Amino acid sequence: MSVDIDSVTGPLGRLRGVTKSVIWPRSERHRERRRIVGLCLPFLILLLFSGVVPLAEMFRISFSEARLVTEGFTLQYYEQLLVDPYYRTVAFNTLWFALATTITSIAIAVPVAHALAKYELPGESVILTILSFPNSLPGIVAAFMIIVLFGNTGLITNVIAAFSGQSAIDLAIATSVGGLFLAYLYSMVPRALLLLRGTYAEVNTDAEEAARSLGATPFETFRYVTLPQIKPGLIGAFVLVFRTALAIFGTILILKSLLVWTLQIDREIAQGFNIAQASAMATVWFVFVFTFTLLALRYTSAEVSL
Amino acid sequence: MAPSTARSSLSARFGRSFVTLILIATLVFLSLPVVLTFVSSFAAEWVGPLPSGFLTFGNWNDVITGTDVGADVSVGSSLLYSAGLALGGVIINICVGVPIAYAIARYEFPGRDWVNVFAILPLAPGIILGIAFLRTYPDLSTSGIALVIGYSLLKSPYMVMAVQSSFQSMDLRRIEESSRSLGASWIRTFLTVIVPNAKEGIIAGSIISWTLAAAEFNFSYIVYSRGTPPLSIFLYNNITNASFLNAAAAVSVFFLLIALVTIALQIVGNQAAIRRL
Repeated sequence: MSVDIDSVTGPLGRLRGVTKSVIWPRSERHRERRRIVGLCLPFLILLLFSGVVPLAEMFRISFSEARLVTEGFTLQYYEQLLVDPYYRTVAFNTLWFALATTITSIAIAVPVAHALAKYELPGESVILTILSFPNSLPGIVAAFMIIVLFGNTGLITNVIAAFSGQSAIDLAIATSVGGLFLAYLYSMVPRALLLLRGTYAEVNTDAEEAARSLGATPFETFRYVTLPQIKPGLIGAFVLVFRTALAIFGTILILKSLLVWTLQIDREIAQGFNIAQASAMATVWFVFVFTFTLLALRYTSAEVSL
Repeated sequence: MAPSTARSSLSARFGRSFVTLILIATLVFLSLPVVLTFVSSFAAEWVGPLPSGFLTFGNWNDVITGTDVGADVSVGSSLLYSAGLALGGVIINICVGVPIAYAIARYEFPGRDWVNVFAILPLAPGIILGIAFLRTYPDLSTSGIALVIGYSLLKSPYMVMAVQSSFQSMDLRRIEESSRSLGASWIRTFLTVIVPNAKEGIIAGSIISWTLAAAEFNFSYIVYSRGTPPLSIFLYNNITNASFLNAAAAVSVFFLLIALVTIALQIVGNQAAIRRL
């Protein structure tokens, strides 16, 4: 399902008249309008009670002066986020790490999607199952997978240790930033791939064949024919995978090697139940990602095709 | 012609092998630890490069019956509890997801694209929603109701998308009009003609959102306070507190669950849904 944001028009006009016609429909058009409202209503109720109300309460708590009840108004928690260099470091860690993992996952997912779309592969359904399997694994399991490969007793650690003669403990990277990077990739590459395969399915192969037969190299064909076609999909995948990267929490909770925003939110709660500070951090996260997504959908050619 | 050939040689000669190499490396990276975990869960010890002491069911026994260290409850109670919570989430998802998917697929209305964006993009991820739930519904979190409504919001996009893919292959306007012209009311048409026709998408969406709700960790971790831990909290306790091979067995239980679900989806025959899982 793709979304074309440009065609959205302001739905706020003539609100009263619309409400009236929804409750007392007098024509087929009014009845259709009532049906649309009725169909959307259950979802909007769920969105209101499990999304909007809790998030509004969280927003309110982030300004609360008292600790256990929500009252008063203070900006101290936001001030803390701005002034304290500790939080600046956390924000910086979060952003560069999410950006680096997003770019890497997409760089890996593009050739894989390319191979899946263009090459005759043996056992393609098995390959597809393997590539999509991690999408249903929670982050803690992704972290465990990295410990299995790169931990102290990990297979790859031990293989490298056997060849190089170094001790396995020195070579284990699971709980280093490098290991965390791989753990992020474990969840993000399948996600990126899912989005890019949809994009690749729509590529016009005639143009590619024409380019090849006119003498373009495979790389030139990719660069000048395929890439412009998958660009909206690439930007859409970038937006969604970046959001995924910012939201990762379970993985980092296990591996603990880099202090990122979500881990710090948990620490505020775990160490002294500082819910106001945690709420302020969660609010900043939410506003940042929400704005980022809206701007990306509005001002780029991003195609959110899920 | 000659310079062009010289320039082209690099990608023409190595391009395909390079791309294939990345594909193989990705496949190994994603599948090897899964296989290793599953195999090692039957091993007595893992000190060298490979696990040894096959074949023992000690680790599985610890996970299934529960020990006092790490996995202090058995996997059965967590699995059942999560299954129930996730099922509650799925029921809500069917009630909210099918109508909105139909509204988007069948009708043109102002703001339709924005409704679509909100229906298929999760509003907030698990951890943020968890923080928001802490003080909003403090009494609900112990009873599991908070988990149910949280899961249903977090996983509703998967239901909407699965049902939408079913609707896309149907001529909804024609179906609706023929049913109406034969005298059925609109509500009856929706419930007895449209919904049964989208059965495949609804089943696939239910399976996917059920699995993802049962696997949801971030939200459960923040909101869960006491009582039977959901499955993902059980996995977390095992990974952090139990021995490595016990944790491998606990994670393997989860792999088996996903494998069963994948098979179930294959039986339903929704290819798009399988890829999305």
